[in-house]
Amino acid sequence: MSLRIEQIDACRWRIPRTGAMRTEGLVFASAAMMADLRREQALEQVCNVACLPGIVGPAMAMPDIHWGYGFPIGGVAAFDATEGVVSPGGVGYDINCGVRLLRSDLEVAELRPVLNRLVDALFRNVPSGVGSERRDLRLSVAEEQQVLTRGAAWAVKRGFGIPADLDHIEERGAIAGADPAAVSARALERGRCQLGTLGSGNHFLEVQQVEEIFDPAAAEILGLFPGQVTVSIHTGSRGLGYQVCDDSLKEMLSAARRYGIELPDRQLCCAPLTSPEARHYLAAMACAANFAFANRQIITAWVRETFEQLLGRGQADLRLGVIYDVCHNIAKWEEHDVDGRKRRLCVHRKGATRAFPPGHAETSAAYQSIGQPVLIPGDMGRYSYVLVGTAGALRETFGSTCHGAGRVLSRHAAKKAARGHDVIGELASRGILVRAAGRGTVAEEISEAYKDVADVVAVVAQAGIGKIVARLKPLAVVKG
Amino acid sequence: MTSPAGHRLIPHTADMGIEAWAGGLEALFVEAGQGLRQMLVGTAPVYAQRTLTVSLTAGDRAELLVAWLNELLFHFEVDGLVPAAFRVDRLDDTCLQAEIGGELFRPERHPLHHQVKAVTYHQLILERRRHGWFARVYVDL
Repeated sequence: MSLRIEQIDACRWRIPRTGAMRTEGLVFASAAMMADLRREQALEQVCNVACLPGIVGPAMAMPDIHWGYGFPIGGVAAFDATEGVVSPGGVGYDINCGVRLLRSDLEVAELRPVLNRLVDALFRNVPSGVGSERRDLRLSVAEEQQVLTRGAAWAVKRGFGIPADLDHIEERGAIAGADPAAVSARALERGRCQLGTLGSGNHFLEVQQVEEIFDPAAAEILGLFPGQVTVSIHTGSRGLGYQVCDDSLKEMLSAARRYGIELPDRQLCCAPLTSPEARHYLAAMACAANFAFANRQIITAWVRETFEQLLGRGQADLRLGVIYDVCHNIAKWEEHDVDGRKRRLCVHRKGATRAFPPGHAETSAAYQSIGQPVLIPGDMGRYSYVLVGTAGALRETFGSTCHGAGRVLSRHAAKKAARGHDVIGELASRGILVRAAGRGTVAEEISEAYKDVADVVAVVAQAGIGKIVARLKPLAVVKG
Repeated sequence: MTSPAGHRLIPHTADMGIEAWAGGLEALFVEAGQGLRQMLVGTAPVYAQRTLTVSLTAGDRAELLVAWLNELLFHFEVDGLVPAAFRVDRLDDTCLQAEIGGELFRPERHPLHHQVKAVTYHQLILERRRHGWFARVYVDL
């Protein structure tokens, strides 16, 4: 399919409305990124999203856009509360896949001597890969229901972390409207033994150092300083979320037929937001999102424990605090100004992060003056970024920005590129220690498989839909 | 499609796909199942030491194929059943009854190639072609 794409400025591209599209497409990308994008199917997916009923504003893609299934990864779309739809494929299987960033009072020099032992201990203490779990965390059926409604707060109550952690989590770690009755027995079963696990693929646990500060004032409020040790956790709702999505897609396929919604791709199946199917999905999705918040909260507690054991120091000294925790696969009810009118919209972010500005009611109290922190992981060989939300994002992208680097190589191509390389050895020689459950995962996750996240955040900053605060360099990475 | 029945894994930027082909629909479902098995644990031999009977329904045959593969995935993840052999007992437009044979997952015997989150409906194809049936599904990794 050949698409007409019009360049608006250095970082914005319009896909004019054609055929069944109900709105235009808006893609944030550099000219170099766009040249690559024209060769794959992600832009076509932007057009497909633009065909869905009740879409408000353009179908958007952030600069980390790549070919997903149904929606593109890096996709943002908002739907009207009465005319619009909710699409489980617009959230994805890994509901509330997200990133959490922990700060510390440690400097990298203090950690270097124990880094090898630390990464081994993290790999041991935080289950990753298939079938691994902590035998000391087994949920009863009743407890799992609590996880689904209370999210991170449940974990804190069970002793995983402290109440102050909740102040630094999107939605305070629990999305409203969760109804465990909307979650199937199968999803519950898949979730029960997977709480407190990292999973595999692109999920990771990373010990980092603050390499550069770009916005000292914001960094100070976030508690970041050069040379400081930080920890990132990237995981989501595990099998529970995948099953909720799969169950909902089946329901939505028949719902779309029943409501006469034409689908350019079955994975975009959806139901009117006013329908019982939509309510059912959103209630189940909130459960999965809360499971993911609890998951990252529990892993945080194990990270703290591991640091304490290895360094022989307590939290009063280490001060491993939560900077923030963001969702990047989610659909949310939000109020936005559209053409001067306040409207209640269901904003889908699939591989996109909320990026609310300073002064926004939903931005945590601690960050009212700088905007909501936005956590953008790169690849394991380069760096990650910390940004904050902006008024530009709220105005133009329903308060959304990118979520990561975005893949450029398929897993197959990445493996081929890694052939003949000792990926783990090469990273170690550059001071990055990697532990992984599967060797294949490491080859698939090589730096070359991803866009340079520096290019991605540069586009975001140029477009004004995010403001760069700091760059973090990996020291040790645990992969599934 | 060089042989009358077969399957292969195909690349996708972030994920992966399975293509399967066969003379008949039942054999197509078996081939797709073998494709998923290959994606999960590779091509090392797996034996049908235990069996499981499943009964599935879906909106049409293509959706039934997705349901079938997700069923295999569910039993792999929850029961640790590494699929090895399949027998389709009944298959019509919306309903499938089949037996899955396999062995229990042991990391040392079944080197995990990919952890599959789910089989998707994205660009799903199940159609009759000149020499038989053809299917393509993409999975989320």
